[in-house]
Amino acid sequence: MQGLSRAWGLTPLRGVAAALFAIALTLGAVVPALAQEQEIKVGYMKNPIQDASLDIMEKWAKANNVKLTRIPMAYSVFMEKVTATLTSGADQFDMIWHNDDWGQLWKKWLETTDDVKGLENADPWPLLAFWNDDHKLTTVPMAHTVGTFFYRTDLVKPEEVPKTFEELVSVSQRLQKEGKVKWGYVGGMSMNNTWFSFLWTLWANNCDILKPMLERDNEKLKAARFEPALTEPCHREIVEYWWDAINTHKISPPGMTAYGRNEANAIFMAGDAAFTVVDSTHFGEFSDPKRSKIVGKVGMAPFPVGPRAKVPTSWNEIWGWAIPIGVPAPKKKLVKEMLAAMMSDEAGQIEMWKKTGGPPPNVKLWPKLAAEDPDFAALKHAVFDQTPITHAAYYFAEWPAVHKAYSDAVIAAVSGKREDIAKVLEENVEKVRRAGLGTN
Amino acid sequence: MAGVANPMAGFRLVAVDEKKRFMLALIAPAVLVLVFFQILPILTGANASFRDWHLNDPKKTWIGLTNYAYVVRDREFLNVVLPNTFGFLAASVAASLIAGLMLALLLNRQFPGRWLVQTIVLLPLMVAPVIAAIMIRWMFNDQFGIVNVILEAFGIAPIAWLTQKWTAFFAILLTDVWLWTPWFALLLLAALQSLPPEPFEAAQIDAASAWRTFRYITLPMLRPVIVVCVVIRAIDAFRTFDIVWTISGGGPARATEVFSIYAYVEAFQFLNFGRGSAAAVLGAIIIVVFAMALYRLLNRWVEVSR
Amino acid sequence: MSTIEAIQAPRSRYFFEALAPGGRRAFFLLGTVATCLLFAFPVFWLVLTSLRPGYAVYYVHRGSDFTLDNFREVLSQEIVLKALWNSFAIATLATVLSLGVTATSGYMLSRFRGTIPTAWFGAIYVFRCVPYVSWVLPLYFVTRAMGIFDTYWGLLLPHVAVHICFFSWIMKGFFDGIDPSMEYAAMIDGCSRWGAFLRVALPAAVPGLTALAVLCWLYTWNEFLFALILTAQNTPILTVVMAQFVHELGMEWHLMSATAVLALGPALIVTIFGQKYVIRGLKI
Repeated sequence: MQGLSRAWGLTPLRGVAAALFAIALTLGAVVPALAQEQEIKVGYMKNPIQDASLDIMEKWAKANNVKLTRIPMAYSVFMEKVTATLTSGADQFDMIWHNDDWGQLWKKWLETTDDVKGLENADPWPLLAFWNDDHKLTTVPMAHTVGTFFYRTDLVKPEEVPKTFEELVSVSQRLQKEGKVKWGYVGGMSMNNTWFSFLWTLWANNCDILKPMLERDNEKLKAARFEPALTEPCHREIVEYWWDAINTHKISPPGMTAYGRNEANAIFMAGDAAFTVVDSTHFGEFSDPKRSKIVGKVGMAPFPVGPRAKVPTSWNEIWGWAIPIGVPAPKKKLVKEMLAAMMSDEAGQIEMWKKTGGPPPNVKLWPKLAAEDPDFAALKHAVFDQTPITHAAYYFAEWPAVHKAYSDAVIAAVSGKREDIAKVLEENVEKVRRAGLGTN
Repeated sequence: MAGVANPMAGFRLVAVDEKKRFMLALIAPAVLVLVFFQILPILTGANASFRDWHLNDPKKTWIGLTNYAYVVRDREFLNVVLPNTFGFLAASVAASLIAGLMLALLLNRQFPGRWLVQTIVLLPLMVAPVIAAIMIRWMFNDQFGIVNVILEAFGIAPIAWLTQKWTAFFAILLTDVWLWTPWFALLLLAALQSLPPEPFEAAQIDAASAWRTFRYITLPMLRPVIVVCVVIRAIDAFRTFDIVWTISGGGPARATEVFSIYAYVEAFQFLNFGRGSAAAVLGAIIIVVFAMALYRLLNRWVEVSR
Repeated sequence: MSTIEAIQAPRSRYFFEALAPGGRRAFFLLGTVATCLLFAFPVFWLVLTSLRPGYAVYYVHRGSDFTLDNFREVLSQEIVLKALWNSFAIATLATVLSLGVTATSGYMLSRFRGTIPTAWFGAIYVFRCVPYVSWVLPLYFVTRAMGIFDTYWGLLLPHVAVHICFFSWIMKGFFDGIDPSMEYAAMIDGCSRWGAFLRVALPAAVPGLTALAVLCWLYTWNEFLFALILTAQNTPILTVVMAQFVHELGMEWHLMSATAVLALGPALIVTIFGQKYVIRGLKI
């Protein structure tokens, strides 16, 4: 052993290795030393709305001598990376972006936020995704994210806006025949874009992914053994509707089954489609002359309804802010103060809406805002004032797997022959159920 | 040690030791880096594959082969994912090998503008693959994609490339071949330029045709390089992820799902890290065996055909 | 040998020989131009995209207004400039370190036989086959535990680890092509093993090292996955900054394409100056 180390000693590598370790140690030591005492580190996704919400909090931070450090993370790894950080107890963030998509996944790892002032002004409905097992809240809302039916005001008068699925087809076809627009409806369809085609029509037809319909109580869903509703007539109608929209009526582009939000928005913003459904927060983009060719020509309306419903069902969710459970207590208190300041900053929230199209988390502001801002009034009418309302996702741990299995099933059905739709849906019932039960 | 009794034996022992020490010292830095930044993480992942390890709820209880049993019993994995992966591997490696070989032969000639052609051919190496994949996804869009615009200019009806299995597969394959052909071309061109000139001069004297010269002189001499390239590339093609993920996401439905997507979706979309790791370990075993067999087979096959 | 006999076999006529020299040249030219178009097109299209205004980055072929706004917007972000520097530093340092580590490893594989080289080769081969999915996340924990997460070292060392297999394999090829008798001669003249390696073998392998350096630099410059997982706000990397233009609600393709084109610049310079050495030196 001594001989071995002596041989190493003769090598120039030892010097190199020593230098490497010295530099590594220095780097490792310098980074934590830079941290200040009153610093709040925020892990978030660099999106205009989230930056605007942080701008509100920045005002409070400046006034209270706190340094707000923004740590942007790419969306493609955000949930994975933050989950790993939360469960390993690392103290990388004092506050993180939270989303209803993974609301239940983090419930064990987040500080409860019931004591944050201003929460009484928030809409209780979308908070369902964020309750932990003790029925304590784990988030503070940042902005609402809601699916919205957009139409082109230069092509369709408000009274002509389709109110049913059938009208969506007939109005689209009329516009196409008149040569006013290339496509009637365009929306995302591929995995994780299911809302902008299948899901909104599903809910607007009083239908759902699992039975019992529109049930979000995990216990009841479990009792029903995650029975998929794929073979219900209301469900087959939806798949056939999209098959026809693409292949028979040709109101939607043939490539739509592969579209995400980007493709659908690109086509809509280029002026090549009359209708789309996407998150309301895209309204800011549609109205930006740098990004869009349809500025000032975009209106919002309630969803058209299917044959089995009288009124459309919309959904209403939020993006939020959350505090990792491992953050030291004084820091938690500080973050909560900051969030309370954000919740009470009415001017700041209105500015966020005007700049980015993110609806204010304080719903008491809404009537006032609607009175002075016609765009917000339109959104309020199109979505927030609509009843009934549903949740845009399920909140059990296997939901991502159920969503994927469901998306695979309906895309396979729409991509095949029309007469095979019932058969394909039938074949996939077992897969969706197994995804819910987590077995194979 | 026992060297005291027999001076000669002692000498030999010291000599061997000195050599071994040198060998170990040569690889020591690489071993250190490999152990900490590859082997340790890989073993951690392998450990997770035997446990109930959800990213959001890491119970880490030992569950034996449950995760493995799930994967090997998953009909989609056996009937869709594995055939797709090997089909993709074979098509991609074969096409980029042939294209790379042709390019290398072209660039091995002297002609005006050769330098420019060479730079252009290397362009795919200079773009981040993910960016290239996004660009190509837009290019194959049925509405605004340039591919359909060009097709229409030639009077061909537009195609919704990404909505059907084989056209989507084609777009992915084309991207992969585009990305990797320069890599083959570089290695093969370097090999071509280092070949001794004598056999080619002899062939010229014998007035052998270009094809025969290629078939019976160039190809056999390139054999070792080709075999190594194919094996290394096959290993990487088996793990292809970002191109497929960006262009088709494994869709429509699961029509273009390959192995890495399967493992990724399990581990990071469904957050079942244990199951995703089990799939990854199975994949590693499959590709280790496959690459070894491929190496043997290629060597023998080229040997026989010579 | 069978090769020689085969060449002496009667020559047959093939398509190419049947063509007149002029036709052959035209055919050759056409093929070359087509190849260039095929290889350049996606990159050309990316450059064109980055020059279109935000509302035209998808319908690139529609309209003819061009602008530098995307570049202006991207370059006005401090993080992009920081990321350009970091990416450059990481790519360069990773190249130096990878070559340093694998030159010795390749030399060992080339010059020695026995259990150690066999075991070493087996190890690097087997571990290379493991898909990233199962180990990027543990890698993240490892760099955190060592306190080097989000530093240069935390990204550099994993990059080096990834390069060990392929580079050692290729380095072995370089040294195989260098006659070892010079090293023996040097050792007889009193050189140590290290001396023979450093003063005789290594200088002879410089063309090969240069070739690998260019490939390694380009690879690291464009690498996405490790950068995405192993860095945060202290070490912005260009590819990660690009990824941050993708939101839950779609992507800012106009900014993303402009950043990608910016990233293309240094890569192009390295390739133009480096390709000569790559082809001269890259022998397996």
